[in-house]
Amino acid sequence: MIPSLRLDPRAKLVIVICISTLAVFLEKLSFMLALLVATLLVAWLFQLHSSRSIGRIKKVLSVIIFIAMLQSLFTNAGTPLLSIGHITIISTYGLQRGVGVLLRISIIVLSAALLTTSSSRDIVQGLIQWKMPYELAFMVSIGIRFLPLLAEEIQDTFVALQLRGVELKKIPMKRKIKTYSYLLMPMVSSVLIKGRELSMAMELRAFRAYPERSSLRTLKMKHMDYAFILLSLSLTSAVFYIYMHY
Amino acid sequence: MFIHVSEVSFGYKKGEEILKAISLTLRQNQFTVIRGDNGSGKTTLGKLLVGILKPDSGSIFIDGRKTSQMSLGEIGKQIGYLFQEPERQIFTSTVGEELSLSLELNNEKDSSQQDRVTELLELFQLLPLINQFPFFLSRGEKQRLAMASILVNQPKFLVLDEPTTGLDQVRRRVLSELLLAQRAKGVGMAVITHDEEFINRLADRIIVLEGGVIKSDTFTKA
Repeated sequence: MIPSLRLDPRAKLVIVICISTLAVFLEKLSFMLALLVATLLVAWLFQLHSSRSIGRIKKVLSVIIFIAMLQSLFTNAGTPLLSIGHITIISTYGLQRGVGVLLRISIIVLSAALLTTSSSRDIVQGLIQWKMPYELAFMVSIGIRFLPLLAEEIQDTFVALQLRGVELKKIPMKRKIKTYSYLLMPMVSSVLIKGRELSMAMELRAFRAYPERSSLRTLKMKHMDYAFILLSLSLTSAVFYIYMHY
Repeated sequence: MFIHVSEVSFGYKKGEEILKAISLTLRQNQFTVIRGDNGSGKTTLGKLLVGILKPDSGSIFIDGRKTSQMSLGEIGKQIGYLFQEPERQIFTSTVGEELSLSLELNNEKDSSQQDRVTELLELFQLLPLINQFPFFLSRGEKQRLAMASILVNQPKFLVLDEPTTGLDQVRRRVLSELLLAQRAKGVGMAVITHDEEFINRLADRIIVLEGGVIKSDTFTKA
């Protein structure tokens, strides 16, 4: 067991940007698989609980399978694997695209989870020291701060809807879609109400009262941080080069 | 008995038990108050009773059926649950639609059911607000709307988490009377509250939770 890496949040941001850029750019499954293994290795280095991220991916697995089926239905490419009459339900191309989406989402979710190993305050401080305007950095921190709360609210709302006596597993798809549409109203309203209350609270605490902000806490990059940034950028460039030329 | 909790333990994280081997029985025609300090596990117990949370060990039975074998929809047809934050259980763009929602979702929109909706709108003093956007209502109004919405399904039992929060004295009294009327109809209740006046007025039984266990279980009325 190696001790957990304690990197500056800016170094972690560079690693996440490199990994997710590659995830979006790469299309060959072999390369994406290798990138997933590399991401898992990085997650292990940071002692990240990968199982939680994998759990999140499992929840959207059905959506990914649906995407794979859509790819098969609307493209003629590939060999049909499952057909009804002349209509191809699953083709090799669709399956390949579906697996690609699964790998891409897994890599992005896992790499983004690296940021959870730093506090949101540190991430914002890192962005400010990178000369990002405070207002934008603050918005990022609010986003990070409210995500778990929003997730909890959505879950409660979903539960509340079912507790109205709706047996989701037993109703037909058309009614199911209509039922799900009822989740939109509380979700959107909750975000709007929270935003309004938050802005009022911020104004009352004199947010942006002065054009310049000072900060007691400052982050300092160490040799290790520079080494990881350099390593990430070099490896990403190397992968790009290999991918384009071979 | 309507709800039976048998040796139920639960924790949000491994090794941190919020509730420790709790056993209790809740009956219809009974107004049970669940009280205790913050973090004693009241809301967690309420969520376990309606199947929102699943026990780590032990079992919960509703009308003889294990909750682990029931869907939330099945439980919702028998038990009404009021969340601490009422806006989490409001789904439509007008107060009137909100009350009819359960009927629409369950394909039960006949005239007698519509009469029930109108009756509840009157009972909860929501008729003047029928065309209002629910999310702009006051906290107390949202609380009344959420309460009325769960009663549309005519549940046999109610689990209410802090139902008096945001209600003024008059509205608390109105709510007390409405709940007494429900009890008279045979609807059982488990109410999580700190409201002393509310407890003294309504409670048949008071369960006090402390550190994840039942510290006392007292019947106040014979």
